[in-house]
Amino acid sequence: MSTNFFRRQWIVPYLFLAPALIATVAFKLYPIFIGLWESFIYTSFGGGVEKRVFVWLENYQYLFADPLFWQSLKITGILTILINPIQISLSLGLALLLMRKSKYIRIIRSLFLLPVGVALPIATVVWGLMLDPYQGLVNGFIGLFGIPPQPFLVSEDQALWSIIVIATWKGVAFWMLFLLAGLEDIPKQLYEASKIDGAKPFQNFRFITLPLLKRSILFVLVADTATNFVLMVPMIILTKGGPMQSTNVLVYEAYRSGFYYQDWGRSLSITTLLTLISLIIIGFQLFFLGEKRDEKK
Amino acid sequence: MIKNFIIFNTLLIISIFSFNARAAEKLALVIGTWAEGPLTPFVEKFTADTGIEVDIQTFPFRDLLATLEVRGNAKADDIDAIFVDAPLVPSYAVRGMVAPMDSYFADASINDIFAPAGVSAASWNGEMYAPPLNNSGQILYYNKDLLAKAGCAEPSAIESERITWEEVVDCAKNITDESAGTWGMIFDQVSRYYQLQALPESLGGGSGVCEGGLSVKGCLTNDGWMKAAQWYYDIHNTWNISPKGANPDQTHEMFGAGKIGIFVGGNWNVGRWKDSDLNFGIALHPYFEGGKVVTGCNSWHMGVWNHSKQKDAAAKLVRYLTASPEVALAYVDEHSSLPAHKSGILHVSEDPKFDNFPNNAMKLATYESANHCITRGRTPAFLEFEEIVNTSFEDIRNGGDPAAVLQDAETRIESSMRRYK
Repeated sequence: MSTNFFRRQWIVPYLFLAPALIATVAFKLYPIFIGLWESFIYTSFGGGVEKRVFVWLENYQYLFADPLFWQSLKITGILTILINPIQISLSLGLALLLMRKSKYIRIIRSLFLLPVGVALPIATVVWGLMLDPYQGLVNGFIGLFGIPPQPFLVSEDQALWSIIVIATWKGVAFWMLFLLAGLEDIPKQLYEASKIDGAKPFQNFRFITLPLLKRSILFVLVADTATNFVLMVPMIILTKGGPMQSTNVLVYEAYRSGFYYQDWGRSLSITTLLTLISLIIIGFQLFFLGEKRDEKK
Repeated sequence: MIKNFIIFNTLLIISIFSFNARAAEKLALVIGTWAEGPLTPFVEKFTADTGIEVDIQTFPFRDLLATLEVRGNAKADDIDAIFVDAPLVPSYAVRGMVAPMDSYFADASINDIFAPAGVSAASWNGEMYAPPLNNSGQILYYNKDLLAKAGCAEPSAIESERITWEEVVDCAKNITDESAGTWGMIFDQVSRYYQLQALPESLGGGSGVCEGGLSVKGCLTNDGWMKAAQWYYDIHNTWNISPKGANPDQTHEMFGAGKIGIFVGGNWNVGRWKDSDLNFGIALHPYFEGGKVVTGCNSWHMGVWNHSKQKDAAAKLVRYLTASPEVALAYVDEHSSLPAHKSGILHVSEDPKFDNFPNNAMKLATYESANHCITRGRTPAFLEFEEIVNTSFEDIRNGGDPAAVLQDAETRIESSMRRYK
């Protein structure tokens, strides 16, 4: 029986896919489904008795009536609009710089990759010390140029920017790797031909590099957006969503509702909305930046 | 090859779904990392005496609370006895995370075993859920050199000469020198309710939680709280005598480095500096002039996990670790921890080793805790209450308008309390 079974060649690819599919269902789709289901449940403890009631969209109604949710959504929006273009532009710039021919290019590339090897919590703690308003290295450094000490993480106006700096320092080299790989893939003959035609460096970049790097940029854009949507380690370690809710992104609000307040209905309503919003944004990115069918020849 | 592949996959799936299995007969004791050293010998002794094996699982403070919440939410039966932070007793009791323990102490009066503050914190709605393991007390530490340089009189350890917050501020203004990186004062657990509750309480503002524990309306925005919040704002923003940014893990290091004049903190800090070169002294906790003398207190309790399948054995372990004089004395001597057990309190008051500096910090803190202890707000929504109050204090410290921040906190806490009504 078993011999016949394995002789059916069509089954083999599915067997190889099985671990990934099982893991995707168990660790991705199932939690999303559970999250959605639990977001319809309201748990109360009135009179010392735990009651779990299926309330349909009531948790969402409470959420939409809560100014804190809208504040979090606003902060998430601002962070997304700021951090993704900054990270991708810097990654691209860095990738272009590191494509230059030099005797020491491998060493220089390795140096830029160092932050990738540092765990985000550790990087966050170190940056927290460096951004200390009184004893931090950064204030000491900018003081050399006559700039007065800045409050950074304890300022309502600067905390989100400080977190963008931390996340960018940590992430930019990682995203650069994909763009570097994309750049390596572009045939050198195209640049040689354009050189013969008298093209300037910017024209090379505009008409050769960018179009041929589109797939890599699209991947980085989607992956970076998804990653930054769930960025909360610096908030947990350094700011706790403050000062004055200025770094309280949706994912941190969901974390706080679930793990601090044990209000899982609220927490999972937020994560469901967050999943939905990120799917919509990524869908837009794929739709507007993705390759058209007729381009794929 | 394909056969091997299938065997590998099967094993992988089995291992994924069975990783949580555990030996049923072994008790799982979940405690704070800091207590592993002092408690392990007694857990081993318990095993030797009863034959009940115990697996000790340790977590740092925040992870401990998060772990218990996650396991409680899952109604997991893989833990049996736990550490309970004193103010969380009502929360755990109402949500069915800890089992009532009166029946396990039926042969004794808990009032004979523990000090009143511990008994009160251990109970909710007339039932005892989590007997106290230890207590805590807040005292004032001062840097003798910085105070002398600023021309301040040294604060006193005598009740009739207890220093006021107004005097602390006056002295701190003279100590603060931003160019030298020295600050007048700092709180040990900066922006945490546990430590700062004493401010509104001293001004007659109460704990912040209204009677019954299910509302904060008007109790977090009364005169006492508003004045305390304004004072906390002023020390960081108007008078600039206390630094922003430093977190509770850094404040004691700053004092230890000689950068802080006055440090208000827990009795356990004395162990950090007693063998160092720091020239420091200790004194009674400050209060507002004309206000009440109050200090934070209570600490860790232990409870039986309500979803445990071995409650009787777990209760035996909890009773042994909390109610045995031998454990209480060791916890005092080896952990510099304030006792909740009456024999421990007697030990601190009678043993001459606690008469002289720096060990007299234990005696001073025991005095504060016994006479001026304020229990934290009693509410089943303490998790939400504490987190929101902590972030509010931090916002005020960072320059937020005190009245607006407290008003916002009151609204948010009131909203979160709906689940308990």
